[in-house]
Parts: sequence; C-alpha cells; structure tokens
Amino acid sequence: MRHLIPLAAATLLAAPAYAATEGERVQVTGEVIDTWCYFSGVMGGPEAVVGSAHHTCALWCSAGGIPVGLLAEDGTVYMVLKMEGDAANAGGDTNLHIASHTLEADGMLYRRDGLNYLVVENVTADRDIINATHTDFGVTPGFAIPEEAAQ
Amino acid sequence: MIRLLLAAVLVAAPVAAQDFSADSEAKSWNLYAEVPARFTAIVSDPLCELAGDCADQCEAGARQLVLIREADDAMIFPLKNDQPAFTGAAAELAPFCGQQVEVDGLMIDDAEIGAVNVYLVQKIRAVGDEEWTVANRWTKDWEQANPEAAGEGPWFRRDPRIKEQIDAEGYLGLGAETDAAFIADWF
Repeated sequence: MRHLIPLAAATLLAAPAYAATEGERVQVTGEVIDTWCYFSGVMGGPEAVVGSAHHTCALWCSAGGIPVGLLAEDGTVYMVLKMEGDAANAGGDTNLHIASHTLEADGMLYRRDGLNYLVVENVTADRDIINATHTDFGVTPGFAIPEEAAQ
Repeated sequence: MIRLLLAAVLVAAPVAAQDFSADSEAKSWNLYAEVPARFTAIVSDPLCELAGDCADQCEAGARQLVLIREADDAMIFPLKNDQPAFTGAAAELAPFCGQQVEVDGLMIDDAEIGAVNVYLVQKIRAVGDEEWTVANRWTKDWEQANPEAAGEGPWFRRDPRIKEQIDAEGYLGLGAETDAAFIADWF
C-alpha cells in the first residue's frame, strides 16, 4: 500500500493539469492592453507597451483583431473574451473605444491551462487613460506618429 | 491497483513531455520567448468551451477562437496571424470552426509575464488535406470590407475607425494639446 502513494503522486504530476474550472465572480481593476505586444516583446519590454506611449499601436492591434487583456496592478493579465455583453471581441468597436483605459470591471473568471479568461459583465468605472508612459518611452513603436503629423 | 496506476503514469508521462517543435517549419520572428510548434487541434470558441456561451460557426470570426490541442487537451490561444501588420488570428481560424486542423507557428512562452499557451499561427490545414493555408487573409478581408479606404500605405494608417479615434483623442489618447506638447518636445 505504501507504494501506492508515490505512484498516485507521480500520476498527478505527470498528467497535464488541463481541466477547465468553474467560473468565479471577480472584480478586476486593470488597463486594457494589447496582449500580443505585451506577451511577445515585439515592440520592447512590457513597461513600454502599455499606456499612452503605446496607445496608437493598441488601437491598431485592437482594430486588427488581436485579443485585448486587462493588466491588473499586480501584473496579472486577464484575457478578455467578452466586454459588457459584446462578444464581437476580435476587432469590434467596444474594445477599440477603451484601448489603454483603466477599467474597474465585474465579471466571471475562468482559469485554464495557465491563462485567466475574463467575461466582463459590467464596467463599473472607466478611468480613461491614466498611465502616461509617453513621458518615459516616447511612443512605441517609434513610427506610431507619422512624419507629417510630427512636423 | 498498482498495475492501473503504473499504466496511468506511463500514459500520462509522454504527453507531459511532448515536444511540439520537432516537425515544425515555422519561421522565426526573432522574439525572445518564441518556440516553434506544430500540432493538431480542434478550432473552438473559448466562450463556448468555458462559459457554455456558444454561437453558430464561431460567429464567423467576430469572436476570439482557440485551439484545443489533441495531444494534451490544452487550450491554446492564438493571438496573432502571420502578417507583420498588427493583425489577429480569429479571421484565419474561423473558416475551420469546429474542425480538426493541423497548425504550425510559434508558441510564446514567458511565464514570468503570464505568456503561457499563447500562439502565433503561420499556417493551417484541415487534417487530411495536403495544402496548407497561410494565415495571411486578414488584410485581404479588410481591403474588401473597406473599399472607401483604398490607397497607399498600410491598412492601419487608412482605417476609418482608427482615424476617427486619433482625430478625437490624439496619438497618445490624451487629447490634441498633450499631443502637441509631446511632439514639440520629442521630434
């Protein structure tokens, strides 16, 4: 019998922990971010691809159908699947209008395979853009503001 | 009982250790955390998978889509298609909604910032098909949907919705006055 315990433990460790979980009601405060630039580092480090520095690129990516996330103060990223009842989440208007805004949101959280998926039911507060990263980073990418506008 | 547990260990262990890069032909994007990955999966709607909120035919690409990897049942979230143009993956996957597909591309694996099981899809084919479809239809779809925005330059400089946002709130999103002060200082 004593051999069963390590075997059972080995089974649990070896089996992928990929089971879906029940939804959990949560309240999240976070910035609406472009998850591709944030996760991939394609435009630079995470601190440079949030806020006002990255706002124009966030508009491009949101309109381009890249998933948006809510970046909480503790660094947790919540992948948004629905925003205030709008499931047209791949390039829709709702997410475009709130790019880079900091929101207080109420909704359902689902965790699966290491990601946090959030169905936002209500935006309880919209603080607009409060992360003024342009003062440190300029704009990312550097071509976000076209030459003719920068003159 | 011991035999059953041993069998479970033997079955589960290879899956946990599976290397999805072995047969990948994915092109590098020179990203810090990229890992080539080719695998078979079912194209699915994450709202349906997680919350039971299902739509016909994945709502034709209006919703985000995921890949349920067959080898380990992991839910992979494709964030990006194969165009270097700020474009996502849902439109590329939507024609394959509910189908068993093979995909090739790049996983982004950087757990420190939460990047786990996220993906850039480069090519897709239904299982059993010979021909791959390159994941580059997004800009073609956009051209068709926005004939009034035809012209020179990349789509994101011509997109009416983006232009409207920038006209209203500026490139920094903080208004014209902040833009003007920033441009005077930085350029």
